[in-house]
Amino acid sequence: MKEAKLPASKAKKERLSKFTSFLFVLPYLLLFLAFLFIPLVYGIYISLHDYNLLSSVQPFIGFENYATIFNPDSAMNSLFFEGLGNTVKFVIFSVPLLVVIGLGLALLLNSIPGKLRTFFRTIYFIPYAISVSVVSIIFLWILDTNSGLLNMYLMDLGFDAIPWLTKQPFAWISLIGATIWWTLGFNMIIFINALNEVPEELYEAGAIDGASAWQKFIHITLPTIRPIMLFVIITSTIASFNVFGQPYLMTRGGPGDSTEVLLMGIVNLAFEERELGVASAMALLMSLIMIVISVIQFKIANYKQGGEN
Amino acid sequence: MKKNGKQIGLIVLASVIGLLFLIPLIWMISTSFKNDFEAIAGGLNWIPENFTFENYLYTLTGDGVDVPIFRWMFNSLFAGLAGTAIIVAIDALAAYGLARLDVPFKKYLFPLFISTLMIPFVITFLPMYMQFSNFGLLNTYAVLIFPYTANAFGVFLLYQFFKSFPKELEEAAKLDGANKWQIFVKIVIPSAKPIIWTLAIFSFMGIYNDFLWPLVATNSPDMRTITTGIAIMQQGSFTSSYGKLMALTTIATIPILIVFLIGQKQLIKGITQSGIK
Repeated sequence: MKEAKLPASKAKKERLSKFTSFLFVLPYLLLFLAFLFIPLVYGIYISLHDYNLLSSVQPFIGFENYATIFNPDSAMNSLFFEGLGNTVKFVIFSVPLLVVIGLGLALLLNSIPGKLRTFFRTIYFIPYAISVSVVSIIFLWILDTNSGLLNMYLMDLGFDAIPWLTKQPFAWISLIGATIWWTLGFNMIIFINALNEVPEELYEAGAIDGASAWQKFIHITLPTIRPIMLFVIITSTIASFNVFGQPYLMTRGGPGDSTEVLLMGIVNLAFEERELGVASAMALLMSLIMIVISVIQFKIANYKQGGEN
Repeated sequence: MKKNGKQIGLIVLASVIGLLFLIPLIWMISTSFKNDFEAIAGGLNWIPENFTFENYLYTLTGDGVDVPIFRWMFNSLFAGLAGTAIIVAIDALAAYGLARLDVPFKKYLFPLFISTLMIPFVITFLPMYMQFSNFGLLNTYAVLIFPYTANAFGVFLLYQFFKSFPKELEEAAKLDGANKWQIFVKIVIPSAKPIIWTLAIFSFMGIYNDFLWPLVATNSPDMRTITTGIAIMQQGSFTSSYGKLMALTTIATIPILIVFLIGQKQLIKGITQSGIK
């Protein structure tokens, strides 16, 4: 009855309803535009200009900033690719350990009694709550060559003091160690949850077939948690790619430039030399690399899964 | 018998690993109660020989050195709380609108928001710095709060919840003549409390612990956050005063550790839900 009566007022009502519904989304939309969308566009704009903050004009120069980065004779080229190389090293060293040890801790916790499990889960998870600057300063102190805790124990055992932060490969080992201590809990939590989701019947079936614990792990646990494994690998890769605080505070990029990761180089270029144009171009390239890597990881995992089914 | 032995072995292993996780924190607290001499030359004494509060007194009162630690702590807590309040409010509104209401273009808006979860912070931090700089807003609370509010994580988290929320309650309220806003405030929000707490804990920890953004976006000593302030002290006058540095890091860690221990359950829920779609 109502519907037949006044189509015009119904349309009006609908428009009003859409408008009031839109008001729900509006506040987030405004912040989204101001602090995500506009910076994104503005970043591309800056990267196309000779944007030195110390000079009075910032002329448009097209893709010249990008060309400089890819010109093998320029200083920007070595800054970008050496930084990228150091970042990639950090990713390659840290991600496998973060994934494997994270899964190992989850398996360990799953095989001890419930109350202790919750207790140890909290202990392993605590460092995740701490800021990277606190983590870095604590490890600076523990790894101090002359009076750090680690070297004092090593010397007590008759070893020489190790220059943990000033010589390679120790500097990398220190950065990776601090990172593992800091972020491992996150991966562990995800794996614990994934392990709990593996259907009990699968293990029971495996037990009837006489599978060993190792066989059950390889043939039942791993295939079942594969999607979660992929998620952990991607998030760990992205997080490691963004590494900044640990080398910035613990090694200050040294010894030499060996731990000067890309993000440190970009921050330096932007805030010490005030070269925002090239720095923005580098930031965009770095982001592009990160997005491509996660897409590739995703595709590989999908392909493998498809191949087996 | 054999099974028992294996259990005990695993518990011992778990305990040893637990100790490895705790040692850095215990050593931090231990050092914070030593004077500078004992910290450097005291060797492996876990319990300070000359137990002293001087590092805390020195850093808290800022004798001689400019350590506005209360200001830094206030900045961090204020930015964390204000940012969290904004995030929770706007994300809940947007997620509910997109999940349940007739928002125009919502077919496009939701994927647009969610796709930005892929975008790394590196892409936006330089232009965002210029935006704030252009408006003369560096070294203000705006710079310490608003950049965090655009993150789509909360919209994503709450959207999933609202999508699976039973429609009957809303429809009953609608029959009683309640409008969208009343339904949202009186029915939807109360039922979403647990997931909102999850988002709140996540957001607070993210803002309180952030390092890179407050490092580049503030340079006046009064507008530093606690995490950047202590880094500046480490690179400045406190470089090898490890007693004082450990007092600073202990102070910086206490609030976030309390939040963590209280909100651990919500945090775990948030982490697992972000991984499983």
